[in-house]
Amino acid sequence: MKILTLSILGLVKSSEHLIERVLFHRRRTLLALFVLVTLVLGWQASQIRPDASFVKMIPTEHPYVENYLTYRDDLSGLGNSLRVVVAATEGDIFTPEFQESLRKVTDELFFLPGVDRSALASIWTPNVRWTEVTEEGFVGGPVIPDDYDGSAASLENLRTNILRSGQLGRLVANDFGSAIVQVPLFDRDPETGAALDYQQLSHLLENLVRQPYESDQINIHITGFAKVVGDLIDGARDVALFFAVAFGVTLVLLYLYSGSVSGTLIPLACSLVAVIWQLGLLRLLGFGLDPYSMLVPFLVFAIAVSHGVQIVNTVAQESAEGADSLLASRRAFRALYIPGLTALLSDGLGFVTLMVIQIQVIQDLAIAASIGVAVIILTNLLLLPLLMSWTGVGTRAIARAKRSQAAVHSRWAILTVFARPRGAIVALLVAAGLALAGLQASSDLKIGDLDSGAPELRKDSRYNLDNAFVTSHYSTSSDVFVVMVTTEAEQCASFKTLELVDRFQQYLTNVPGVQSSLSLADVSERVTAGLNEGSLKWRSVSRNQFVINASLAYVPGGLMNGDCSLLPLIMFLDDHKAATLSGVTDSVKAFAAEHDSEQIQFRLAAGNSGIEAATNEVISTAQYKMLLWVYGVVSLLCLLTFRSLRTVICIILPLALTSLLCQALMAKIGIGVKVATLPVIALGVGIGVDYGIYIYTKLNSFLLQGQSLPDAYLATLRTTGKSVAFTGLTLAIGVVLWVLSPIKFQADMGILLTFMFLWNMLGALILLPALTCVLYRHTATKVEQG
Amino acid sequence: MGFNIQGRKRLLGLLLGCSLITVPAFAATPFDRLQVAAQVTERATQSLLLDITRAGERLVAVGEQGLVLLSDDGGEHWRQAEVPVSVLLTAVSFADEQQGWAVGHDGTVLHSTDGGSNWSLKLDGNRINALRVEQLEAQLDTLSLEAEADPVVQENLEFALDDALFAQEDGPNMPLLDVWFADPQHGFVLGAYGQLLQTRDGGSSWQTLGHRLPNPDRFHLNSLLATSAGDLYIAGEAGLLLRSRDRGEQWEALESPYEGSLFAMAELNGLWLMGLRGNLFYSPDGENWQAQALNATATLNGALAVDNKLVLLGQGGLLQAGDRAGFAPLLQERSRQSLSAALVAGTQLLLVGEGGIQRKTLPAGAAQ
Repeated sequence: MKILTLSILGLVKSSEHLIERVLFHRRRTLLALFVLVTLVLGWQASQIRPDASFVKMIPTEHPYVENYLTYRDDLSGLGNSLRVVVAATEGDIFTPEFQESLRKVTDELFFLPGVDRSALASIWTPNVRWTEVTEEGFVGGPVIPDDYDGSAASLENLRTNILRSGQLGRLVANDFGSAIVQVPLFDRDPETGAALDYQQLSHLLENLVRQPYESDQINIHITGFAKVVGDLIDGARDVALFFAVAFGVTLVLLYLYSGSVSGTLIPLACSLVAVIWQLGLLRLLGFGLDPYSMLVPFLVFAIAVSHGVQIVNTVAQESAEGADSLLASRRAFRALYIPGLTALLSDGLGFVTLMVIQIQVIQDLAIAASIGVAVIILTNLLLLPLLMSWTGVGTRAIARAKRSQAAVHSRWAILTVFARPRGAIVALLVAAGLALAGLQASSDLKIGDLDSGAPELRKDSRYNLDNAFVTSHYSTSSDVFVVMVTTEAEQCASFKTLELVDRFQQYLTNVPGVQSSLSLADVSERVTAGLNEGSLKWRSVSRNQFVINASLAYVPGGLMNGDCSLLPLIMFLDDHKAATLSGVTDSVKAFAAEHDSEQIQFRLAAGNSGIEAATNEVISTAQYKMLLWVYGVVSLLCLLTFRSLRTVICIILPLALTSLLCQALMAKIGIGVKVATLPVIALGVGIGVDYGIYIYTKLNSFLLQGQSLPDAYLATLRTTGKSVAFTGLTLAIGVVLWVLSPIKFQADMGILLTFMFLWNMLGALILLPALTCVLYRHTATKVEQG
Repeated sequence: MGFNIQGRKRLLGLLLGCSLITVPAFAATPFDRLQVAAQVTERATQSLLLDITRAGERLVAVGEQGLVLLSDDGGEHWRQAEVPVSVLLTAVSFADEQQGWAVGHDGTVLHSTDGGSNWSLKLDGNRINALRVEQLEAQLDTLSLEAEADPVVQENLEFALDDALFAQEDGPNMPLLDVWFADPQHGFVLGAYGQLLQTRDGGSSWQTLGHRLPNPDRFHLNSLLATSAGDLYIAGEAGLLLRSRDRGEQWEALESPYEGSLFAMAELNGLWLMGLRGNLFYSPDGENWQAQALNATATLNGALAVDNKLVLLGQGGLLQAGDRAGFAPLLQERSRQSLSAALVAGTQLLLVGEGGIQRKTLPAGAAQ
């Protein structure tokens, strides 16, 4: 890495002259080339499809997830199913109209693609039965009476059947106000082998079930992973609108800032080209757009605009000093190529450090963002000055630049107070205070998702309201944690296995956050009692294997696998907070350590909460690893560029303060460290370092000219201060709109990135000169004296 | 429960598999619920509890996985006793304030000499099986020495011995379902497949009596009642009704009013007998039984006399009070959780069953 970076930088420096010559002597050829590439990649970009894969969002190399993936097919009955709730808005389910709707909804769902029809269950399906013990033994039948005709008598009969079927709280709400259709799904179509199209399924559910059957009397609630994914993909589409808005706002700001039509349109066009190239290249490399990498085009656009602004700004200043548009562009290129490249390289390498996190969406995000940054080098460091060399910035902009250069008093002068010892010390003391407060607050930072329901979506989203309805009206929680109990084949229901699982379940009653648990042992106990005329005194796993076998004549789906070597133990948790999950995993590990043998193993973990436990473990270790990497790489780059440790400190410390405050902010507003927020700090640092690099480059050049620090800083501010402020603004505009995203994690990313971009800007404008003042005090005085 | 078609296929596979496979030897110290002490659980009072009784002022309840719960404040607070096994305990009986007995699955018989705080294992299914074989063999030996052995008696003993040997091979898998001690020395434990054992020396030695009962089909013995007249009754599976008028030496089969299973008996101005599907019978003398109408079809698990009324406990939360004139729900509210046993502590009715312990204030007039 180090050698690579060194050689890249060396190459960059020696290539500058060559590139400048080629760029400005072969302008038409190069332009034609850019147009051609843009057309090809534009066509590719238009083919890119939304994509959301469950496996990509989880750490596939974590042992829990490896276990889960090993038994994934056997666990399918648990994992991927939809629950469609048909709810009566008034009264209860015992009306002929309600039952008619429920029957029709059941039928509609039966015929949806991807549905495991044999396992579809509602009180209208024949596989849902009631049983009762009589003098003659078991009697039973389907819950819907054979002679059902909608009459009051048959509805009363239905009520009785529901009560004795044990489905109250499962398929029928505890208050009789609604009923569930349980819809197990195939991940792959058993006939065609095609992967389930979540988006299509989600739309079919809306169009064939929700819309036609929802009325004044009936509400439809739909929950399940498949619906979450469908909603995620749909929600991600709203992002296109945000992009349009961000584009519009940037356009206006850019015009206000540059006062030049070409200086507005050319950076925007180049930035748009960068986005097109990035998307086209992603598509060429075989990636889709998942809800995480969906945000990369925004970042690319914002970063590209911010670099474009620097160039336009410099071109205007050079023009103000009398250069023609070609010469001004060449000078701007020359002045900004190295800092621009350094800044972009640090962005890109900052993103690449995300690859240390073993979660594919984050790695994909890292790739997408790195590609985007690489593309900006071409579009905004090369294409942009190329275009400007024809158009120039226009007379108005030149006049404006002249005016500002001539002005004796500058609004920026006020900031130079931080470049003087007293102001610097005050600023640093305030920063130290903030750092302490940040450290204090960030100690509350939590790992994982903190809200109930589907954490990907907003609390008040339709999905989470539906989910809240189900959890409040039914006896099952949506936070499911599965321990996979594995045995030799045909031993999952042996007495020894069930006896120990029974013990384990009682052990779990002591684990905080575990509401209840369910396994084959419960089925065996209940049915054994049933076989003994329902007597409670027989509700125990029998020591007689034949009794156990008889008790497991009918096993509900998902409680054992085909060759009986796997017994999933399902826990329902109070919530999916990280502390709850780690408590559960620790307890399970302790039990496993004591009881695992060749014959039986207690393996972590499946179920949404089990997977989340794995994700949390990966994230909590990756968090520090990633910080170390990103700061290491960015510091090294700065060190190589400026060859001074003190300079590195001047640039990095303000960033570190922002990172710390960002964590404090997360703790304060209840955003946990999770798949979506983990990359934010790397992105924030990677991009935030740009400000420091631009400002320090300029500052250094003035210091080298022999100016005192306050003077050099004022000169810096007058030339680049405005564009730095503008950069912060454009970056913030690019991401602030995500706050409105229907997808919760996009909104979280939006808040945090906006915060980081603005604070990094302030840090660069205030703390950087302050630190320079304190660290270079001796040197600066010497320079002044000299 | 949503049973599906796949379940049937799995069953087939399971049955085929299990008939072929012998369970392999487990690791060095495998878990065995007959040898592992009951674990402490925070949800003890919400666990399955099957019986509740008094040890002097103290209340003692027993239930799943070896749970024994003790309360010294009339059922407000409970703590777990030390129990050396983790099997489902089905019944508990105290001969006096200190001497208590509890029985459960796998032939477990537990004894406490300190009012229920600590328990020791006196018998388990293995020892019961061995005892039966030993005693039946001894009886056959004695019989063979007699000159005029009754061939019927001999045949019965041989049949019982075969049965005992078979059970021994099967392992300790027969649950005990009830226990009753007349005094610290003399008591009975009874249970599945017609098991009945007696001790006359406070548990030092036990006699198996199952083969001496008029119970050729070896129906389960569900509960034992000692009446104020000094008679012993056993109610069991398939309408089985037995009586002993000599403290358990001789047992006679009574004509049963019902062919379904009988789960409990109670005494209140006569005898009450109850079983499956709300079947309730009354008899002034234990011989002539009359069906009592009950507006419920849930199985009746137990009953107790409260304030000259009989309170019935049953499946699905059935809780009714009444007398020969009729029964009515005791409380307004009703849970669906099945009830197994109950007792009265002051103004409180303490119910145990599926949902653990429930504490209900008795309606005015029903208490005291």
